[in-house]
Amino acid sequence: MSIPKPVLSAQDPLLRPLPAPPPHPGALSVRGLAGNLPWLACAAVLLFFLVAAIAPNLLAPVDPLAINPTGAFSPPGPGHLLGTDESGRDIYSRIVHGARPSLLIGAAATAIGLGLAVVLGTVAGFGGRWLDYGVGRLLEVLFALPGLLLALVFIALAGPGVTTTVIAVGLTTAPGYARMIRAQIIAQRASPMVEAATVLGRSRARILTVHILPNALAPLAVLATLGLGQAILWAASLSFLGLGAPPPAPEWGTMLSSGRTYLALAWWMTFFPGLAIVLVAAASTVLSRSLKSAGPR
Amino acid sequence: MTLARPLATRLFPTATALVAALVLAGCTPGTTTSDASGSPVTGGTLVYASGDAEPGCLDPHVGGNYPQALVASQYLETLYTKDAGGKLIPWLAEGSSVSEDGLTRTVKIRSGISFTDGTALDAAAVKANFEHLLVPKTASSTGYLALGKIDSMDAVDASTLELKLKSPDNSLLESFSMPWVAIESPKALKRSQAENCAAPVGTGPFKVESWKKQDSVQLVRNTGYVLPDPSAGHAGTAYLDGITWRFIPEAATRYAALQAGEVQIIDNAQPDTIAAAEKTSTIKHLDAPRPGASNRIELNSSKAPFNDVKVREAFIHAVNINASVDSLFFGTAARSYSPLSSVEPLAYSEDSLFGYDPAKAGELLDAAGWNKRDSAGYRTKDGARLSLTFPVSTSQSIPAEQSLFEQMQATAKDSGIEIKINLLDLSSWYGDLAKNNYNLVSAPYTKVGPSVLAILFHSDSTIPAPSGYFANLSQVKDPSLDALLNTAGATKDEAERKDLYTQAQKKVLEGYYLLPLYNQQNHFLYSSTLKNVGATTAVATPTFFDTWLDH
Repeated sequence: MSIPKPVLSAQDPLLRPLPAPPPHPGALSVRGLAGNLPWLACAAVLLFFLVAAIAPNLLAPVDPLAINPTGAFSPPGPGHLLGTDESGRDIYSRIVHGARPSLLIGAAATAIGLGLAVVLGTVAGFGGRWLDYGVGRLLEVLFALPGLLLALVFIALAGPGVTTTVIAVGLTTAPGYARMIRAQIIAQRASPMVEAATVLGRSRARILTVHILPNALAPLAVLATLGLGQAILWAASLSFLGLGAPPPAPEWGTMLSSGRTYLALAWWMTFFPGLAIVLVAAASTVLSRSLKSAGPR
Repeated sequence: MTLARPLATRLFPTATALVAALVLAGCTPGTTTSDASGSPVTGGTLVYASGDAEPGCLDPHVGGNYPQALVASQYLETLYTKDAGGKLIPWLAEGSSVSEDGLTRTVKIRSGISFTDGTALDAAAVKANFEHLLVPKTASSTGYLALGKIDSMDAVDASTLELKLKSPDNSLLESFSMPWVAIESPKALKRSQAENCAAPVGTGPFKVESWKKQDSVQLVRNTGYVLPDPSAGHAGTAYLDGITWRFIPEAATRYAALQAGEVQIIDNAQPDTIAAAEKTSTIKHLDAPRPGASNRIELNSSKAPFNDVKVREAFIHAVNINASVDSLFFGTAARSYSPLSSVEPLAYSEDSLFGYDPAKAGELLDAAGWNKRDSAGYRTKDGARLSLTFPVSTSQSIPAEQSLFEQMQATAKDSGIEIKINLLDLSSWYGDLAKNNYNLVSAPYTKVGPSVLAILFHSDSTIPAPSGYFANLSQVKDPSLDALLNTAGATKDEAERKDLYTQAQKKVLEGYYLLPLYNQQNHFLYSSTLKNVGATTAVATPTFFDTWLDH
């Protein structure tokens, strides 16, 4: 037996479509190249670093670990596009080769943060009053600690390294996501669609997986791109403090940290890795905001 | 871009102000410089910025490390010290003699000197200090080791202290010159350790007024100061009203503070800033290499692969230290080929052993059985990779040194040797040493005199102290070396002492137990407004009794 779907009348004044919101300045639009310039620039930046992460030798054939003490502290120029560091290593090559660990740390940390958040958010939003209360308090406790401190505590307990950094950053970002997911789930739970499914006697598991989660998680794609930039910044901060990739790995935060000693002598050692971090974080943020304005609200 | 114009307009006044400020800042140094031959001016507070860790206790008897020695040299004095020529001279002591069998040492104490709390300096006061150092409750490490041979002591009269030794110790007077064995007021030592740590009381030209933790220690002039040896400086009290002893761990910030005139002297100056400062007339450089051991890398001979002398020798030929020292230290550090600092008169150098020679390294490794290569290009033997673990304490090595280690890692790779550098905080680093989880390690050790060789290479030093630390990190256990060191430390004959210590140094160098790098670097940069800087204690910590500020 099946119940026919209700037919909604287009004449119903409540269902008249709202006028389209004005597009976000950086949003995807059909206004031509000029209108899309910020978006395109960001996409180009991300594409460059994505290629760098996947096939670094394509963009920088020079070995990022090859030392040359006599060529140390060379300023940016024809031989070394972005100069060399204190061991005569090529900065451009190190930035390109550093894209993989930096992006990987960012992506993996975001994945862990989101994964954990989906579980916590679902439990809170769909698990009933007591679970919601419990998870809510837990999140509040986590929120009470500054993010970096939480990551540092975790690293202090688990020991420094790339894996620990990834987990630490993931843990730190999870509470924020979890709250948003909980709110989304609660909103979906009250939607007519879910009410209808409940009336039809669908199981809770089915309602959750078929009706609530797909709708609640759609905005997550946007959150994830926004979180990526944030996670790269966090990871760079931890590496800067000497808690990330061990030497001589070309990791952006580590490069920034070793360059600051020579700030007065060789500004390029700090400037260019810093620029890479800023570019990736800014590009992914702008891009995610474009996605947010263009996508479903 | 619509933002560009308004933003620029808004920023314009700020930018103008900034330019004006820069121009003004550029002018100030020119107005304050004057010739160094001016007569001393009394007054003013010197601001010292230290890059070392802030001591947990201002009394260098407790523990006993270099940061403590640096600050304590301003308010505590020692029985002996070294003059500008490096000669050991009596200071709070008047002189000393030793019995024929070398087992009784008599120390004469100066009269007419008192501590800043009014207590008089006498033999009983010195005895109380030695007892304080030797009692386990004090938890002294450096001072405790230095006085280890003392069996009993007796203040015969107000100016005579008689020490009975367990065995002859010809380095005792050198030990007396170290700030870790400095003499404090016996009355003050009777206070609780916390109280004494916060404000130790000595006989120095300054005294501790207050200590704001994680910020600074405030020192003020000792108005009752009496210079023990009138030939060693001007009469009367210090020229400076006081010293603000600040802690600025970040090297670039410390140097910027000096450039801005916020502080007048900084320690732990980085090589590149020393090179830059030497081109200016407003900042001056004081190079004071520390005595004791040279800065070196120890090769752990207690386990594979360095239990094979061939592999130790191969490693030493596989790394190019000279190229790194030249490029990273900007000419501020000279390569060392000795276990001892170049300021030690008995240091013995052997540069022929330490050449960079990858071909020879390859031959040695082949002969030692490390003749296969894995997919990463590293040598293997019985399926195991030739891999060396190198824990590095980030608080005991400057960035240039860490870069040197990275370059070492890169050159060793060419010879098929893997070096794993683990950057660690001090406690994790101690942990790795205690677990024997290292093949290479670099640990500084400052002591006055060649007896530091016994601390670093005698088999007794492989036994951890109650704190868990042991100083013989290459873990040499050679009975003939032990015998040499024992005799060298006990002999009364200076020529024989020199000969024995030379033999001991030859033995450890030829056994490839260590890779000497350079002297323990101890560079200070100071403003040219600060005059008469350069006097140091026996452990090369600067003192400011004769220093004055040109306003």
